[in-house]
Amino acid sequence: MTGWFASNVILIQTTLTTTLLALSLQIPIRLGVFSFAGIGAFGIGGYTAAIAMVHLGWPTYPAILLGVVVAAVATYILGVIVQRLSGLYLGMATLAFTLIISVLAVNGGSLTGGAAGLFGAVGTIDVPQILLIVVGVVLVVSYFETGSRGRRADAVREDPSLAAAMGIHVSRYRLMAFLASGAIGGLAGAITTLRRTAISPAEVNFGLIVLALTVIIVGGIGSWVGVLIGAVVFVWLPTWVAFVGQWEDLIYGTIVVLAAVFMPDGAHGVIKMLIRRLRVRISREPRTFETAALPSIRAVRDRPDSRGLVRDGVDS
Amino acid sequence: MQELLNTATLGSIYLLFALGMALAWGTIGILNFAHGATFMFSVFVVYLITGAVELSMIGVLLLAALIGAAISLLTQLLVFQPIVRRARSHSSAELRIILGGIGVAAIPLAIAERVTNSAPFAIRSSYEATVFSIGGVRLSSTSLIVIIVGLTIGIGLTLWIRRSKQGLALRAIGTDAETAEGMGVHRELLALGTMAVAGALAGLAGGLLAFQLSAMAPESGDTLLIKAFAMIVLGGLGSMGGAVIGAYVLAGAEMLMTILGQGTWVDAVSFGLIFLILLFRPQGLFGRKEVRRA
Repeated sequence: MTGWFASNVILIQTTLTTTLLALSLQIPIRLGVFSFAGIGAFGIGGYTAAIAMVHLGWPTYPAILLGVVVAAVATYILGVIVQRLSGLYLGMATLAFTLIISVLAVNGGSLTGGAAGLFGAVGTIDVPQILLIVVGVVLVVSYFETGSRGRRADAVREDPSLAAAMGIHVSRYRLMAFLASGAIGGLAGAITTLRRTAISPAEVNFGLIVLALTVIIVGGIGSWVGVLIGAVVFVWLPTWVAFVGQWEDLIYGTIVVLAAVFMPDGAHGVIKMLIRRLRVRISREPRTFETAALPSIRAVRDRPDSRGLVRDGVDS
Repeated sequence: MQELLNTATLGSIYLLFALGMALAWGTIGILNFAHGATFMFSVFVVYLITGAVELSMIGVLLLAALIGAAISLLTQLLVFQPIVRRARSHSSAELRIILGGIGVAAIPLAIAERVTNSAPFAIRSSYEATVFSIGGVRLSSTSLIVIIVGLTIGIGLTLWIRRSKQGLALRAIGTDAETAEGMGVHRELLALGTMAVAGALAGLAGGLLAFQLSAMAPESGDTLLIKAFAMIVLGGLGSMGGAVIGAYVLAGAEMLMTILGQGTWVDAVSFGLIFLILLFRPQGLFGRKEVRRA
């Protein structure tokens, strides 16, 4: 076990940071906010942490914390600015935001190290510590995915006007999605940068957005479990298909296409369905299949809101 | 003057590329992330073919357009159509269409990178460019062809969408797909036709760029993809005329940055334009009053 750990330590660390990175997209998308800003937050967090260490001489953890705070605040402000956009338009705006980050980094002079990047941010964080952080983040995320909190999130995604009529503060949920996405994206960026001891503008590119998006959609956007599955698949895939050598990208593309067409709820959805079928077979009694999305909305709708008041108008 | 000419050439290539994306996105609601790969791979296949037989310029362009159409058609048939059929809701379909496109794009890129070892490739053709010099301005015949083809197709397609029966059907789908279908619009067939046209435009743009730059890298599709987003958003989704103007505005803005010696900021032009336009005029410069496809 320790031998396996030692020889795969980079892959394990990448799986953990990729999980964080992908979570920063999954959280807003689960709330129906199609935002790529988490990837921009990755760049902001990474650069801020590196600048704090290299230029200000801060130790590891304060540097990471600063990266998280700056990324969260920047993303939150972005959320306020783009509040009236939705759907693919929001996606475009946040995509532009994310890509601008790397152009800013290129033109940042000695502060960001220009096109070559910033070197020498030697963090002391190790893999067990990263694991602990990721577990902590996942616990918080799963707290907001279960019970009535999760059903409220489903309602905000599936039918924002209905959710608003139920007394859910839809616009506040959306802003919180930006904040959480920024904080977690910034965390991923700061940890990745301080582990690698360097960050360059080329890392915050279109490819990183594509990676995070494929991780969450192939894994499943419904819950953090899907994100973890996706991260494991895409980080470890190169070692599994090493025998095909340079055709790895071909396999990658094919898997993504097949997932897009045949797994509407991602790998996590397929696993859940298999478990449900197995249970039905074991209990041997005919049971009706429930769809994933509808009952959760019904649950929100049938449950009288404790305050019983419509407090917020329809999100415009 | 020379800069204006360069802008027109660059803008015309941008235009042909973006028109295909704008057409598919604004009408049948397919945001095709594989459009850049279609563009690149059409040229790549022509490169393989011209390695064996020498073709004229028209032959190269026709072949590239044909291959682009075929790739786009296959993508629609094998990926996007099944996704749309299976989708529960519009928003989940949108996400999966983007993902499907990303997956499709990886495949031709992997093939081209493997075969060429990621080196740029050039098309062999019997065509030779001649350079005219008019009052100190250098104009190559390639630039002239690029500008003429770009403008003709840009204006032609805009008029076709506005005037023809198929154009009306396409706009109807863009406005309300279900009602349009009820009125006798054959949605899947029309979608296939639209994707074929979009793919042909990508192939044509690729062919022209290959002549203009005389070589092309496997990764060149990705950059153009983001620029195309900027042009479409700039012009306004669903407005073909807007995409035409958007293409030249973007090319002009990029050229201006280069002239001003701000070369490293060139990439920020398209991103910045996307962001500002969405913020202050989400319907685009020439779009209709409301953001429809939300």
